[in-house]
Amino acid sequence: MKHIVHFRYTLLAAAVVLLLPLLLSSGTLATEVLVFALAALGCNLLLGYTGLMSFGQGIFFGVGSYATGVVLLQLKLGLLPSLALAALGGAAVALLVGWFSIRQRGTYFVMLTLAFAQMFYFLAYTMKDVTGGDNGLLDIPRPPLSVFGLTLLPTGTSWQYYTVVAILFVLVFWMLQRVVDSVLGKTLLAVRDNEARASALGYDVRLLKLAAFVISGAVTGLAGGLHAMMTGVAPLSNIEYHTSESILVMTVIGGTGNLFASLLGAAFYVLAGNWLSTLWPRWLMLLGLLLIAVSLYMQKGLFGLAVKLVKLLRPAKSGAQESIAKEKHS
Amino acid sequence: MNIYLLQIANGVGIGMLYFLLAVGLSIVFGLLRFVNFSHGAFFLLGAYLCFQVVDMGIGFWWSLLIAPLAVGLFAWVVERFVLRHVYALPHHFHILFTVGLALVLQEAVISAWGPLGNNVSPPDMLQGVVMAGGFVYPKYRLFVIGLTAVMALVLWWVLEGTRLGSIVRAGSESTEMVSLLGLNINRIFSLVFALGAATAGLAGALAAPIRGADPFMGVEALGIAFVVVVVGGLGSFWGALIGGLLVGIVQSVMSTVWSEGAHLMIYVAMAAVMLLRPNGLLGRPGAA
Repeated sequence: MKHIVHFRYTLLAAAVVLLLPLLLSSGTLATEVLVFALAALGCNLLLGYTGLMSFGQGIFFGVGSYATGVVLLQLKLGLLPSLALAALGGAAVALLVGWFSIRQRGTYFVMLTLAFAQMFYFLAYTMKDVTGGDNGLLDIPRPPLSVFGLTLLPTGTSWQYYTVVAILFVLVFWMLQRVVDSVLGKTLLAVRDNEARASALGYDVRLLKLAAFVISGAVTGLAGGLHAMMTGVAPLSNIEYHTSESILVMTVIGGTGNLFASLLGAAFYVLAGNWLSTLWPRWLMLLGLLLIAVSLYMQKGLFGLAVKLVKLLRPAKSGAQESIAKEKHS
Repeated sequence: MNIYLLQIANGVGIGMLYFLLAVGLSIVFGLLRFVNFSHGAFFLLGAYLCFQVVDMGIGFWWSLLIAPLAVGLFAWVVERFVLRHVYALPHHFHILFTVGLALVLQEAVISAWGPLGNNVSPPDMLQGVVMAGGFVYPKYRLFVIGLTAVMALVLWWVLEGTRLGSIVRAGSESTEMVSLLGLNINRIFSLVFALGAATAGLAGALAAPIRGADPFMGVEALGIAFVVVVVGGLGSFWGALIGGLLVGIVQSVMSTVWSEGAHLMIYVAMAAVMLLRPNGLLGRPGAA
């Protein structure tokens, strides 16, 4: 039982992954939920666990998209090597952006990440030979999941591709949950809560922040790679400010400081956006209002709301809730 | 040689506009200690109000009065009734709130004026160029330099020479102290926020005849305003001026050397300054 408690969020995430095909009729939509959930996980590791609000997540998402596109189009590698390079590309660029940005704290840091997002947008726009400029990279193929030439899973239809993405998602979720539960994760929390104290205790705060950045960049790059394969294009818009903003908004609406919350946030954003945009093309205005409401009244996001509801429905019963409540405070 | 001289002169014109765009952001940060992510949206609103006023035949000159006043009034209402409740929260909720506000404004602009860009023509007397020897310069840009220089002087006088200015400067050191002196700090917050928004609105109106009005200019403006204050130093009036001019000149000169990379070079210049002076050229350490 104790074992299951330890894995509860990973199991919860796996349950959502299994539920999505039952609730949604479109495999692409379900895949999109998981892809952006991955990106939101990366953002949450920075915001929720390290206290770094990054407007630069779109950089890593875009770099992942382009890396996958280039690798699949030019080198014609398989699915796994392409994604590995997308994650590696995201991590490398995150190392660079992080190295510059973490020299600053607080609002200065936030402004810098946005400035870097703009920088990489214009860089991608300028490097037409690599990125295709305004047009992006087109006709990106989607190879099957194979190891040493042995095909394990096909990716021809959108639901087949969903299966591959779902497996990767649960795997990454589990690994990230391990990271945040580890000593590194706890130290990141210490940096978030009191940077001066963490530094006084002898932790290399810069190195820790950089580590969080690199992991976040790798996960977000992977998400970008999966997105490029999902749509068959790596457009310039993947590296735009708007992407950074969307990823951050998903993370915040879901709730920070809990990885499962990011899945909730991404699912809400993608599904609500999909549904509302057919009703009203200006639905982003509602999102803006929601963001205002979250910052005024609902700072723990949807996950915080859910925890509150659970506590209301089952007042002080088992240890599991206590630990959820504890996590809310941490 | 002449072409570079012209581009530097051009850069001064753009740079003064960037100064006007960024100075409000910087002053608001200095007093309220928070970065306004809807600043770009105020710029956007200013540009569209200019377009609307010109389109209705009221005239460009009126737009220079109406756009900043309307944007300032809107910001005053937002600060007075909603934003005030956000100050006590951790700083990333300030940012989220203003990001939400920027989204709402951008979508409102698209709802009202459509997703496509619009052109605004400068008034007749500012069309054409001024010639001095072999030197050719657009009249409208000369006017922008003149007006923004006047605005810079006015702002500097307000901050350094008036009672409001001394309260604002004192408030940016210690808001508690200012309240203890019996001044209503909340009213000053509203006023400064409105002033910051109005300068962005004016910058937007002035920019409209140069680059038109399109719904996504707010994001671009926000990015540039951030670069200007990062380069100059957050909260510093002269930093905003120097940063604005530097960014304007870099962009303008680069557009001759490598036109596609002109925007990119702005951000490269920012990274270079960051390496040499992490707090900006005139910033104090720990200001953020």
